[in-house]
Amino acid sequence: PKYIIPDCFSGFSPRGDRGGRGGRGGRGGFGDRGRGGFRGGRGGGFKSPDGGFRGRGGGRGGPRGRGGRGAGRGGFGAGKKVLVEPHRHEGVFICRGKEDALVTKNMVVGESVYGEKRMSVEEGETKIEYRAWNPFRSKLAAAILGGIDQIHIKPGAKVMYLGAASGTTVSHVSDIVGPDGLVYAVEFSHRSGRDLLNVAKKRTNIIPIIEDARHPHKYRMLVGMVDVIFADVAQPDQTRIVALNAHNFLKNGGHFVISIKANCIDSTAAPEAVFASEVKKMSAENMKPQEQLTLEPYERDHAVVVAVASPPITYTCE
Amino acid sequence: MLVLFETAAGYAIFKVLDESKLQQVDSLYKEFETPEKANKVLKLKHFEKFQDTTEALAAATALVEGKIGKSLKKVLKKVVAKEAHEQLAISDAKLGGVIKEKLDLSCVHSPAVAELMRCIRGQMESLITGLPPREISAMSLGLAHSLSRYKLKFSPDKVDTMIVQAISLLDDLDKELNNYIMRCREWYGWHFPELGKIITDNLAYCKTVNKIGDRTNVAGSDLSDILPEEIEAEVKLAAEISMGTEVSEQDIGNIRHLCDQVIEISDYRIQLYDYLKNRMMAIAPNLTVMVGELVGARLISHAGSLLNLAKHPASTVQILGAEKALFRALKTRKDTPKYGLIYHASLVGQTTAKNKGKISRMLAAKASLAIRYDALGEDTNAEMGVENRAKLEARLRQLEEKGIRRISGTGKAMAKADKYQHKSEVKMYDPSGDSTIPSTSKKRKFEEVEEEEEAEEPVTPVVKLKKPKKESVAEEQEAEAAETPKKKKKKKDKKADDETEEPKEEEEAVAVTESTEKKKKKKKKKAKEEEEDDD
Repeated sequence: PKYIIPDCFSGFSPRGDRGGRGGRGGRGGFGDRGRGGFRGGRGGGFKSPDGGFRGRGGGRGGPRGRGGRGAGRGGFGAGKKVLVEPHRHEGVFICRGKEDALVTKNMVVGESVYGEKRMSVEEGETKIEYRAWNPFRSKLAAAILGGIDQIHIKPGAKVMYLGAASGTTVSHVSDIVGPDGLVYAVEFSHRSGRDLLNVAKKRTNIIPIIEDARHPHKYRMLVGMVDVIFADVAQPDQTRIVALNAHNFLKNGGHFVISIKANCIDSTAAPEAVFASEVKKMSAENMKPQEQLTLEPYERDHAVVVAVASPPITYTCE
Repeated sequence: MLVLFETAAGYAIFKVLDESKLQQVDSLYKEFETPEKANKVLKLKHFEKFQDTTEALAAATALVEGKIGKSLKKVLKKVVAKEAHEQLAISDAKLGGVIKEKLDLSCVHSPAVAELMRCIRGQMESLITGLPPREISAMSLGLAHSLSRYKLKFSPDKVDTMIVQAISLLDDLDKELNNYIMRCREWYGWHFPELGKIITDNLAYCKTVNKIGDRTNVAGSDLSDILPEEIEAEVKLAAEISMGTEVSEQDIGNIRHLCDQVIEISDYRIQLYDYLKNRMMAIAPNLTVMVGELVGARLISHAGSLLNLAKHPASTVQILGAEKALFRALKTRKDTPKYGLIYHASLVGQTTAKNKGKISRMLAAKASLAIRYDALGEDTNAEMGVENRAKLEARLRQLEEKGIRRISGTGKAMAKADKYQHKSEVKMYDPSGDSTIPSTSKKRKFEEVEEEEEAEEPVTPVVKLKKPKKESVAEEQEAEAAETPKKKKKKKDKKADDETEEPKEEEEAVAVTESTEKKKKKKKKKAKEEEEDDD
């Protein structure tokens, strides 16, 4: 553990960050559900040239006597000392201050992908920047905080990410696998695809694929063999989709990390029943489930299942 | 058997050396566990590399659609056609069908083939010799990006970074230009101070200085294309009696260089402005139509990007640019500003000071819609912006009219006229309708008629004075014309005329009495006017 002084703490850029500020209202999650520190930190961290912005946080809660660093209370006010230590999982870190946070090492120093907090750390001469990982927005972070045993995503791994959306969690996976690894991010929606493309512009280990994951043969030209498949697609036939992709691209003995949303598979059945049926489907497709974990308290009726590809993969899903 | 394997770098055709291995599908992966073993099963027959990214993109799109691209056709014809007896293993059954149809090559796709493809993919680097792995990954990254861009119809026209940069550059240029011009004026003013006061336009000043150099050359030089005549004459005059010092050629040379720079920058600024206008029209046509290019560009630049601007609520768009005033007012609990950058829009500029706030709010609301349409909509036409602008202009006119009505007196007067007014009406009894017997003798009637005619004659001129209308004049002329022939005519005729005139005059009498009885009511006024006109 090294003592660190976090530097600048603001969001994306003072101008453009109004989107991020908007999120603070409750969607930002952190501030409202116990991790109260971030709210303060965010308000305080704005050493922005347009001096007015500082007051905006104040203006919302009713004008406070102080402008600017009105909220130095709690969490990560700029200039507070925090501690960054590695997590049990490789490539993931924990930032300890008044409040603890899950962080990953930022591959693109100085930039925030979705307005999340960044903290700089001095290690002798080098400065390392870490980005906070929000478990309310990312299922993988929720699983890690929930205590999952193995995520199999480690530095240097090749990951296939199905259901990449706007690239918020993909950016963290990209941070974990580092410059030696690869993340194949598959997303079908055009709107999210645009954002994904912007994220992939900055990070060269993300390969964006704007295709339907149901037809892996359509993007076979772009993909090599992968070590892990992470799936967050929220489709009723997601097991079949994952199996198809695994059959094409997953190496022997590779792993799956699948997020299951009970509501999406079957909204009438009980969540436990849905999870059990999904696990059974997976076993039928030659995926051996290894662990299952619900994502309480971050998500409701969600579960994450970690499985291994039972070799050899037979071709039941043609 | 031949195998077709597509990679981001190109097409690979393998030859299966040992076909028996393919029979044992389940243990096929064992044969590919190490590069050496893999090479025993397959041999790379041919690798067709993509020449450039465009070719790769074309191949990839063909692959997605399940068609045969040009490069694939070329490869197949070149390599496989020679060994037509061999089957071609491919990963996509649909593609196989197309190949068979077009090139008449028998294709095969089966679970064994699928497993084979898996194994090849696993050992791709070792099987495809002559291609470093970094190149494959770089090519696949580039190809993925181009493919995605192609899918998303990514158009470089719609990049709003250009706008942000262009407007910042415009501001920078303005500042620099101002600095240079001030410097030029100061420097040259040492030599010819009067020129600075005579020529107020900066560009004209610099051009003049460039042309004349030393002030002794003024008399000989022709400044008609830069300056209007009177000013040119003034300059020539001032040059004779100038009190500036002499300067050397070198100094003049330097000043001339500076003037060249100024002229160049001014020209470039105009070009840049044109460019900005074009870009704005391409990227955000609706916003441009509503607030103008410059204001639109400043809004986008202030928010950071068009998408960011679209995320702001309309109230924010209204006061974008006035943050300092806003937060100061919020902190001290005073009135917040009513407009920010939007103040410079033409719609806000052309209203009276009272209505600027209202218009600014309305404009911000509609402009916000236009921005969202531009940022997130699929089409790029300016229809919506034009409609909204028309609506706003109509509302603007309404606002102004309402204001005018309230201010002028007629409104109040008209309003007052609507109040209840008690009119005491005293109706006189009209005995003329009493008996049906023709009441008086004709002679008397004639006298009466004459009297009435005389009585009316002064009336008509009075009417003529009051309302010099052609109609009444015409009527009078007719009446007079009628009257004079009446007088000239014989009694009988006169009587006949009188008789015809009687009912008319009775009506007129009634009309006169009626008019005196009636008070000044709007409609009756008009009726009176009409009756007077009829008279």
